[in-house]
Amino acid sequence: MTKGLASTGFALATSPEWVDEILLRGAGDEVCLHSGGPIDRAALRRMVAHRQARLAEAGLRAGGSLALRLPPSTAYVANLLAGWRIGAQVSLLDHRLTAFEVDLALRRLAPQVVVEPGRVTSGPLSAFAEVEEQVTARDGRPAATPHAVIQFSSGSTGPSKVIGRTAADLVAEVERYTRIDGVPLPGERIVVLASMVHVLGLVGALLYGLHAGVQIRPPDRLTGDSVLDAVAAEPTPATVLGVPFHIGLLASVVDPPTLPQLKRMTTGGEAVPAATAAAFTGKYGVPLGNMWGMTEVGVIATDLFGEHRPALTPAPGLAVVERDGELLVSRPESPYVGLSDPDRWADGWLRTRDAGTVDPATGLVTVKGRLDSQVSVGGLKVDLTEVEATLAELPGVVAAVVLHDDVITAYAQLDAPATAASVQAALATRLAAYKRPRRLHVLDALPRTTTGKLVRDRSVLRQAVAR
Amino acid sequence: MSAENPPDRDDILAMLASLDGRPAHDVPELIESMELAWLVHQVEQRYGVRMELDSGQYGRMTTVSGAADVLREVIGMPDEHFRD
Repeated sequence: MTKGLASTGFALATSPEWVDEILLRGAGDEVCLHSGGPIDRAALRRMVAHRQARLAEAGLRAGGSLALRLPPSTAYVANLLAGWRIGAQVSLLDHRLTAFEVDLALRRLAPQVVVEPGRVTSGPLSAFAEVEEQVTARDGRPAATPHAVIQFSSGSTGPSKVIGRTAADLVAEVERYTRIDGVPLPGERIVVLASMVHVLGLVGALLYGLHAGVQIRPPDRLTGDSVLDAVAAEPTPATVLGVPFHIGLLASVVDPPTLPQLKRMTTGGEAVPAATAAAFTGKYGVPLGNMWGMTEVGVIATDLFGEHRPALTPAPGLAVVERDGELLVSRPESPYVGLSDPDRWADGWLRTRDAGTVDPATGLVTVKGRLDSQVSVGGLKVDLTEVEATLAELPGVVAAVVLHDDVITAYAQLDAPATAASVQAALATRLAAYKRPRRLHVLDALPRTTTGKLVRDRSVLRQAVAR
Repeated sequence: MSAENPPDRDDILAMLASLDGRPAHDVPELIESMELAWLVHQVEQRYGVRMELDSGQYGRMTTVSGAADVLREVIGMPDEHFRD
């Protein structure tokens, strides 16, 4: 058990030594991360120790609570591992959230220490930011649960859900990766394009890579040429890990060089159109792997050889079943913190809210899209009800409907003096850019049914705009 | 668009539209972060160069009009902003 716990805090399910045993162990001269230059394990251990001292100086103790609001960066990696090594619970906040969203989250989480970017010196296309972090001690609460990591999911019926995962659960997912055929092997590289703040990049690249001795190598920038440069930079085999957007980047590179190092590209986050997959494999001649997972569980099913697209094989140790058209995944405990919701988790089964089927003969799983109002924007999950509720609560908004019509599209009925511009400006302070409506249509009156309910039919709303 | 002339507003709309195959007239004026990466990538592919932009220039590329202005400056002065 963890030693020296704060009296009111919880013991983590696994002692903080798991960070050393599972992630940081290995030869000191082995390059484990590449950001601006090679970083070997000895250097990473020094970075983590340095952050650990700073966090301890700010008052963080075993059983305490830390929030990271950092873009993917060495600072993020080092603070995350340092927080875990202390034995603290670490909450991950996407750096793109607005100050308003961060305030809400911090009020809810009440972390004792927050690490935020003081100065970011890299450009917006950087896959790994250059950050000088700022450590702030707050009058927060110690960890209230035994989870090692806390993340948010966009809430479909109210505020975001708080998702907790124990160290044991993270270790189990890392172990699950080691048993999946087609993952990068020790001595190879992962060119990571997916954000390490979210589960695919966090566990699929960072934690698995550190554990398995696979070098984690973000490209300099998120452009096609930079990704290929990162692949070409060393002779060892490289797997590119990203979301479907990144397939498009690589598929549209004009005359890419021959890259014998490129072993595979794997994406998660959303379905890949067949034409996009064909364009990629036609150009590069390597497998395009597919993964399905969720923040609550991590990786659930994969098709890393692109043999069954769009079907997937459940990851070792996980069971997936179909019930009334919805996919459920085995999970021994509810992942939701402070929420007892049998509608989401009951009796060891988590409702994924994804529609799908399980082939009774092969066990292959096919995901057929969301059953709720969640959409994926570049691999990031956005719940349209959160967007609509935020819009509807703004001053001057009489009624609002938000739906996904290629892009997040809002229809609003306003009272003077509110205007489209004032509403957009207000939304920009309350919602991260990726959640905001890309189109806002202001109507004199939103279409309603005879009983007064707002009409959500795309064609009716489009016609109302066209009038 | 030719490789000699900087991309104009219509070229930029067409490049952004190619991200997901929507019609160019349906592309919103605001450019979000993933679209910005796509646009820079597309320009680099068309011109066969790597663009080196500063934070101020990136900051102005949040609208289609702003992006047209920045690309006009950058492609007009390639030595300062391109790396082969």
